[in-house]
Amino acid sequence: MLKSKTFVRKTRAGGVLKVVREHYLRDDIWCGSEACSECKQESTVLQEDAIIESSLCPYPHYLVPDTNVVLHQIDVLEDPVIRNVIILQTVLQEVRHRSAPVYKRLKDMIQAKEKYFYTFTNEHHRETYIEREQGESANDRNDRAIRVAVKWYSQHLKTESNTDGLKVVLLTNDQGNKEKAEENGLVVYKFDEYVKNLTANPELVDRLALSNDEKAEITSSKVLFPEHLPLSKIQSGIKSGTFLQGTFRASRDNYLEATVFVQGEGEDTTEVLIQGLQNLNRAVHQDVVAVQLLPRSEWVSPSAVVLQDDGAAKDDDVDDEEEKALRISAAEAARKPTGKVVGVIKRNWRPFCGMLNLSQIKESTRHLFTPADRRIPRIRIETRQASTLAGQRIMVAIDGWPKNSRYPNGHFVRSLGSAGEKGTEEEVLLLEHDVPHQAFSQNVLSFLPKMPWGITPEDMVKRRDLRHLTVCSVDPPGCTDIDDALHCRELENGNLEVGVHIADVSHFIRPGNALDKEAANRGTTVYLCGKRIDMVPELLSSNLCSLRSNVERLAFSCIWEMNHKAEILKTHFTKSVINSKASLTYAEAQMRIDDTSKKDDITESLRGLNKLAKILKRKRIEKGALTLSSLEVRFHIDSETHDPIDLQTKELMETNSMVEEFMLLANVSVAQKIYDEFPDCALLRKHPAPPPSNYDILLKAAKSKNVEIHIDSAKALADSLDVAKVDGFSYFNTLLRILATRCMMQAVYFCSGMDSDFHHYGLASPIYTHFTSPIRRYADIIVHRLLAVSIGADITYPDLMDKHKQSALCNNLNYRHKMSQYAQRASVAFHTQLFFKNRGILNEEGFVLFVRKNAIIVLIPKFGLEGTVFFDSKDKAAPSLVFDEQGPTLKVEQTTFNIFDKVKVTISLDDSNIQHQKIRMALTEPVIPGVSVAAPDAEPQAKKTKLK
Amino acid sequence: MARVKVSEAEKVYILHGIRDDLRVDGRSCEDYRHMEVETDVVSNTDGSARVSLGHTAVLVGIKAEIGKPRPLVPDEGYLEFFVDCSANATPEFEGRGGEELGIELSNTLYRVFNNRSSVDLKSLCISAGEHCWVLYVDVLLLQCDGNLYDAISVAIKAALFNTKIPRVHMSSDEEGGKEVELSDDPFDCVRLNVESVPCIVTLCKVGHRHVVDATLQEKACSVASLIIAVTHRGTVTCAKKMGGGSLDPESIFEMTEAGKRVGKALHAPLMKLLQQEESLGKKRQKVGFLG
Repeated sequence: MLKSKTFVRKTRAGGVLKVVREHYLRDDIWCGSEACSECKQESTVLQEDAIIESSLCPYPHYLVPDTNVVLHQIDVLEDPVIRNVIILQTVLQEVRHRSAPVYKRLKDMIQAKEKYFYTFTNEHHRETYIEREQGESANDRNDRAIRVAVKWYSQHLKTESNTDGLKVVLLTNDQGNKEKAEENGLVVYKFDEYVKNLTANPELVDRLALSNDEKAEITSSKVLFPEHLPLSKIQSGIKSGTFLQGTFRASRDNYLEATVFVQGEGEDTTEVLIQGLQNLNRAVHQDVVAVQLLPRSEWVSPSAVVLQDDGAAKDDDVDDEEEKALRISAAEAARKPTGKVVGVIKRNWRPFCGMLNLSQIKESTRHLFTPADRRIPRIRIETRQASTLAGQRIMVAIDGWPKNSRYPNGHFVRSLGSAGEKGTEEEVLLLEHDVPHQAFSQNVLSFLPKMPWGITPEDMVKRRDLRHLTVCSVDPPGCTDIDDALHCRELENGNLEVGVHIADVSHFIRPGNALDKEAANRGTTVYLCGKRIDMVPELLSSNLCSLRSNVERLAFSCIWEMNHKAEILKTHFTKSVINSKASLTYAEAQMRIDDTSKKDDITESLRGLNKLAKILKRKRIEKGALTLSSLEVRFHIDSETHDPIDLQTKELMETNSMVEEFMLLANVSVAQKIYDEFPDCALLRKHPAPPPSNYDILLKAAKSKNVEIHIDSAKALADSLDVAKVDGFSYFNTLLRILATRCMMQAVYFCSGMDSDFHHYGLASPIYTHFTSPIRRYADIIVHRLLAVSIGADITYPDLMDKHKQSALCNNLNYRHKMSQYAQRASVAFHTQLFFKNRGILNEEGFVLFVRKNAIIVLIPKFGLEGTVFFDSKDKAAPSLVFDEQGPTLKVEQTTFNIFDKVKVTISLDDSNIQHQKIRMALTEPVIPGVSVAAPDAEPQAKKTKLK
Repeated sequence: MARVKVSEAEKVYILHGIRDDLRVDGRSCEDYRHMEVETDVVSNTDGSARVSLGHTAVLVGIKAEIGKPRPLVPDEGYLEFFVDCSANATPEFEGRGGEELGIELSNTLYRVFNNRSSVDLKSLCISAGEHCWVLYVDVLLLQCDGNLYDAISVAIKAALFNTKIPRVHMSSDEEGGKEVELSDDPFDCVRLNVESVPCIVTLCKVGHRHVVDATLQEKACSVASLIIAVTHRGTVTCAKKMGGGSLDPESIFEMTEAGKRVGKALHAPLMKLLQQEESLGKKRQKVGFLG
């Protein structure tokens, strides 16, 4: 049957277009129930004995949630208890339209077999399709469609011979919808009503999001905040310039202060300062808001005061005193554009990790929740299990922030475990850094190759057989995702053939499928201490794609013919099959090279590579590539308890740089190739030159030691770093390089069609990309695909050639990359804390890295640890501090601190705040009376571990 | 235009019949043939109507688009006409054969309908001098059996009656930038007032008398004809003489009077029919072209 859907749409040019779509109805859409014998379905989803223990519905029943229930109560729906749910197409489409994250979660649930979620395409079913009627809003029409579908279901199941009274229950929170459904004789409950009557699972109640009438009841009627403007007014305001649109970023140190970053024309952004609870007007960190600038006379400057919203729940009145304190301190200094939030354009709420502050009233079910991220306000939640949740890390989602409530209202989502435990903290840091780390869904796994897997003759058609070559891989110890292997051999003409073989991940991950989408979303594999969060499922990362020794593996090879001066004569790319002869660690490879008695193929090949690598490296440095330094630490993890027992800084061997050199060469060769082939849509990586002002700190620091650094070009910088030496201070050069690293910009992925500056500053290469780690970086997969298309080994697809889609993908990859680095750092910090927890107080030597107004930042080379020594504290009178910005130096009483000064500090773990444990450092040398502390007696235990 | 060849004897027969107020198909001089009107036949237009008169069949579709008002009348919208003489109607139209006729028809239609006394052009204005609705009236001739003007005019009136223009309003900000905003309810439409839209009556002078709704044979016997546009009140808004022969002033007067009478009588049943059809709403059985 044919129907047509008609709607009018505004065109971009300002015209109005009438669109008519044909809509076909069918009579072969089945109900998906096991209990039904009428429908000719091949397989069913919904169970016949669909029992959820409930005092409200003691009979077996299927649930049909409406759109708002799905959108707001997804946390409850995800619980394993909730099964046998019919998701109507109407609901699915509306959810998709309104919230992409909820839609994805819903789709995952539908995929999960054990949830028994069935999608019923009611919009195409002959008997459940309805047309919008005159005077009916789109929402009303959808509500009616849902009711009609529920009605159809209940009648459909009734006509069956089933006598056990299988019913269909509509769940809605809309009073009007509920009444109409009751008139139609449907079984309908409010969602909270239904959940509260689940006799077997009372804990689900806590996860309910508050509905509007409940919110009103919690809070006093006093209006605390100005009303947000409606979206239409905001939009017209932004257009006319009265309001500015920007991302709201709360201050980490002061809960009454925030900045809004307003993206102006092109690159420039302006910052608008927001101060005071009223002006912040319920905006939460990362929201997109509209701000109105205050008159110039009311502008203030960012305050230096640290204010934390703590203590008991405040009685819904604004803390005047704290706000006043803010104003006074601000009046003197330079003023900044200041504004107030007039409306929220887009909320960016996610579930937040944190801990519960128990209410002082024992019986109370309402408690305040303090998020781990200080930029997020405290959230009021309702729970009956407060006593069990105390001391645990929990997740809470915000439901809303009414204008008469001091705090946003939220609901409990789930518990992550006891605070301070390793597993819990790891989970928290993954969640807080937005690292997707759930297990891969069934849908994703379904695209994996079937095991046992082998190379078929079809695979061989477009591949070169390189199994006879002596290929080997060199990686850090314990590496299971080997994505690169090398070979080197002498050709008959005396030249050398060098090959870099990269795992052919794009052979297994085909564009557009769920596996590909998941990998694109994850963007990168995240390495934490002792844990790895894979970008692709393990079967690929540690097995089929991993170029292990003595197995046949598919590879993408980049083969050069070079002369003995490491000049490239020929470059050739091909898909291939290889059989690695050995997987070595850096140390093993180094030993083979050094052991002159060894003369086997592998060793010869390694020596050839090493020789070429040295030449390549020299050439690169001559061109101006930077060798920077940052301390990386490795933990020795106890195999039983998984606690760190020792840490050491990573050692670099010749072989490290050998592998790196060839990877760089491959990346540059591939970058050139794909850019030549696809000038508009090549995915490249650039590293912009930092603005000269970035180097200020480096220049000042060097000057203090009478060393001159040139920053005119990368080459000048590299050269001046090389000669920078201070007698009797061997560590100076490393320190300088660490500082130089901090001056650099972030390297980013970009699409060649959207940018004109391709230069990679750090590597001094005009063009660069990532090709060599497709197992752990998605960018490399795209590069592989581009390269495969350019050599005719694979076919292309539309998204690959769309520069806007590429560009959007790059943004995600850059974001994921940044977040994974933060997560990595946070993981190291956490393990450092664990390490020091068992060590008591240590006494160590360090160097001053930065000097601040009231503190110095000290680097302990031994642990690669950086910490702050504060000279003022809350409980003590501060010593006299004189800060000289030119130096920069800080004079504490009689002692002056310069950058690079050698100091001694004690290190201990400060766990007074369980959510924010930190390493505390205190000065022992030089001795400043009243400031420094006495060096602790070197504890024997600590000594022993140090000697290890 | 489509023509038929008529022999002398036939001509005499037709002439004599008309003289006695009895035409070949049994009608009297001021009778129309059987007429069928159906609206809302093309779903992707904003208004459409199909009219068949005897064997003449026309289809009219109206598309409303936003345009710029004409500078001389900044507070009015306007209509544009295009007549497509499909080769379906007669083989003569094949290729560019129908072009001349199409232009002639559309020019005449433009003169008849695009004025403020026929259509309420002010209601098509969205914001004076900036935006107005332009109604593109597309006429498709499907079959020619004489009296095209009358059939087309009835079809246009019916299509205008059927036209639903999406309701828009102008949003303006302080800086004076204006933008069209659209209601999201597809049923939120503006209807046109078609009460004073005229119908065209073609009178053919045959012998000493004149007939309305001449068939092709009758047309072949006529030397000249007069087309007049008449409103429901009987006001003549436009008159035009067609054909090579001459008309004496007295017969022009007579023909005009007859045209007024016939035109006035045509409006009432047409409006009644359209309103009846409208009131049926979605329950109406669509007939279309095959019915």
